[in-house]
Amino acid sequence: MQRIPVRNSLIAVGIGLAAIVAPGCGSSEDPPLGAKTMAFQLTDAGCVPNSAKAAAGPIVFEVENAGTSKVSEFEVLDGDTILGEKENLSDGLSGSFSLTLDQGEYVLYCPGGDDEKGTLTVSGKLKAETSPQVEDSISRYRDYLEKNTAELISATAPFVAAVEAGDVEKAKALYAPARVPYERIEPVAESFGELDPRIDARENDVPASEWSGFHVIEKALWVDDSTGGMTAVATQLLADIEELQRKVKTVDLQAVQIANGANELLGEVSASKITGEEERYSHIDLVDFEANVEGAEAAFESVEPLLSEKDPKLAKEIEAQFSKIYASLKPYRRGNGFVSYAELTQADTRKLAQQVDALAELLSEVPAQIVGG
Amino acid sequence: MTPTTRRHLLASAGAGAAGIGLGGVSGYLIGQETAEASSGGTGSVAFYGEHQAGIDTPAQDRLHFAAFDLVAESRAELRELLREWSRAAAEMTAGDPIGDANGVPLAPPEDTGETVGLLPSRLTVTIGFGPSLFERRRLALRRKRPPALQKIPALPGDELNGEESGGDLCVQACSDDPQVAFHAIRNLARIGRGTVVMRWSQLGFGRTSTTSRNQDTPRNLMGFKDGTANIRAEDTDAMRRFVWVGDEGPAWMRGGSYLVSRRIRMLLEVWDRSALEDQEQAIGRHKYSGAALGESDESDPLDLEAESGGKPTIPVDAHVRLASASMNGGVRILRRGYSFTDGVDESLGELEAGLFFLCFQRDPQRQFVPIQRRLGSNDALNEYIKHVGSAVFAIPPGARQGGYVGETLLS
Repeated sequence: MQRIPVRNSLIAVGIGLAAIVAPGCGSSEDPPLGAKTMAFQLTDAGCVPNSAKAAAGPIVFEVENAGTSKVSEFEVLDGDTILGEKENLSDGLSGSFSLTLDQGEYVLYCPGGDDEKGTLTVSGKLKAETSPQVEDSISRYRDYLEKNTAELISATAPFVAAVEAGDVEKAKALYAPARVPYERIEPVAESFGELDPRIDARENDVPASEWSGFHVIEKALWVDDSTGGMTAVATQLLADIEELQRKVKTVDLQAVQIANGANELLGEVSASKITGEEERYSHIDLVDFEANVEGAEAAFESVEPLLSEKDPKLAKEIEAQFSKIYASLKPYRRGNGFVSYAELTQADTRKLAQQVDALAELLSEVPAQIVGG
Repeated sequence: MTPTTRRHLLASAGAGAAGIGLGGVSGYLIGQETAEASSGGTGSVAFYGEHQAGIDTPAQDRLHFAAFDLVAESRAELRELLREWSRAAAEMTAGDPIGDANGVPLAPPEDTGETVGLLPSRLTVTIGFGPSLFERRRLALRRKRPPALQKIPALPGDELNGEESGGDLCVQACSDDPQVAFHAIRNLARIGRGTVVMRWSQLGFGRTSTTSRNQDTPRNLMGFKDGTANIRAEDTDAMRRFVWVGDEGPAWMRGGSYLVSRRIRMLLEVWDRSALEDQEQAIGRHKYSGAALGESDESDPLDLEAESGGKPTIPVDAHVRLASASMNGGVRILRRGYSFTDGVDESLGELEAGLFFLCFQRDPQRQFVPIQRRLGSNDALNEYIKHVGSAVFAIPPGARQGGYVGETLLS
């Protein structure tokens, strides 16, 4: 379950924003190649103009506060989703941001104005520019996704069967193997809106009446030592995972998204695995930890050729840092799994967390490097 | 000269709009002006120079200090870190954001951004090397270790916590704006990720020392004026005698100094219920005027011979007497400490607060250590304080323009 704010997350992209395709926005001085500039003013009335038309493609939004104290923010939304925004533009300040938009109706939002909402109509089709190398990256990652969704089903089915059969011990033994493939591809699952919370929400992430998925069963197994009432939950879990597999087959992927996904997986490690929050009843957090790192590595390796062309030094540093993390996990390995999170000391988690931070800092540089590659 | 603010630059960049492009932040990189480095101000202090700034700079109001351990193993990685730290420190002290990639939509901004709109606020960044750095075999620096850089020995009254002590490297960030000081440490830690890990850090919310003749004497958390008899930066003779490393070497340390940090927890609850007279006897000064006992003005010299009623006017165990130069063979140190609080002492429910004592000197073995040995054994204040953290660092000389701090050691 995603707990950290992400900028260019898969979620935003899944909704139809194609900001990611923006070719050549490698430097802050240069707007995307062929970008069209649109100027907007913040006034007491709201956005001026509050109705605009544009052709599909990269657009630089230049926003100026023309002397209002009522409005200090300008947003472009697709439905309820913010695609881009400029905040804190008080009187006299101006700023800009860019988006690459496909055809559709977008909302211009100037909160506090007399007429807060306006419309941006984008027409024409975005030209996709994809090199064979980029295609290769995408197809490598697509293979990885499909392999892991297949594995997810084959590992979850026996787990679900054990729960349905009321076999607590067997279900406990099968829980961790079912978690692994999911944790490897979690950012993609998150891009399908409701599916990730249904499969992977932790208690209190969602209203109690809506809580479903892996962690409900985890709690029953480890806290209540029972499968009582879990049959329906388990059946639904398998159905949700099958739906995930269907959706993954047709998901639209872009190289930058994949690179961002690697970053998000490490964000998951920092936010909930190394803190022991994700698997709070079974304490198999290190299993998830490794799966997240493996998923990040697979995502990175898919785009690595694109990066190596631009910044081979960075690519090498990232590879070395992945090796360091695996080496640090090694002492905690027991058989096919890991020691319980409860056995880790503060010094253990601190060392692991520092290494994840070091890797994530490097990985965060990748998307901008490979854009348009 | 009027200091050019980050806010001003940002606004003018935005107004110039076209061509600034993505994010609109990059524009304020243009034309940074340097303001005067006066005391208690918002201007900027030069990063490059003969000595590192943050020692003879008039003490700023706020501190964020951090000690780091090296996780990289090669000298090349250490050199690269110091290069990047120096470059970033020069940008931050000038009031500029770090780096030039702050407006790329798909990349995390190089600068974390919380000082956009803030003034340089006399930020100084002072970098040092701990004794343990010279013991790291792969770095092969053992032979370059200055004889003066020895771990502070166990001293009377120490109750040290290992997690708040030591460190391979340190960064002292001082500023008149707390967010500017925090921003410096945060960003240097980020730059160092994978090369260093933060071992401990300390925020200081108020200066407790006066290091310039133009500054008033501040009060510490005991409510007393502190640092009245401190070395003043204007006293270049005393700076040369007691603070700056000279011919004694090693050559790479010439123009540098040594920093000792001590995290001193004050038992404020106990102190606060002590009678005024007891407080004044323990310190050896009048609480409100700051004058030594028996004197009337803060600037009156200590009269250690004075007696009243057959007893020394300044008690034999008073803090000012034991810390005075005349009781220490004429030896002095440059104090530059800060008051701190870190919330509640979890085991006692009392205020976790005190003095983060920092001092600079030419040789800790001859200056801080003997002074503290005397204080730790006899100081009347010991009833009210505990030394819980300790560290020592060699502070190399300043970097030349385009160079980096530590270049004299590593080049």
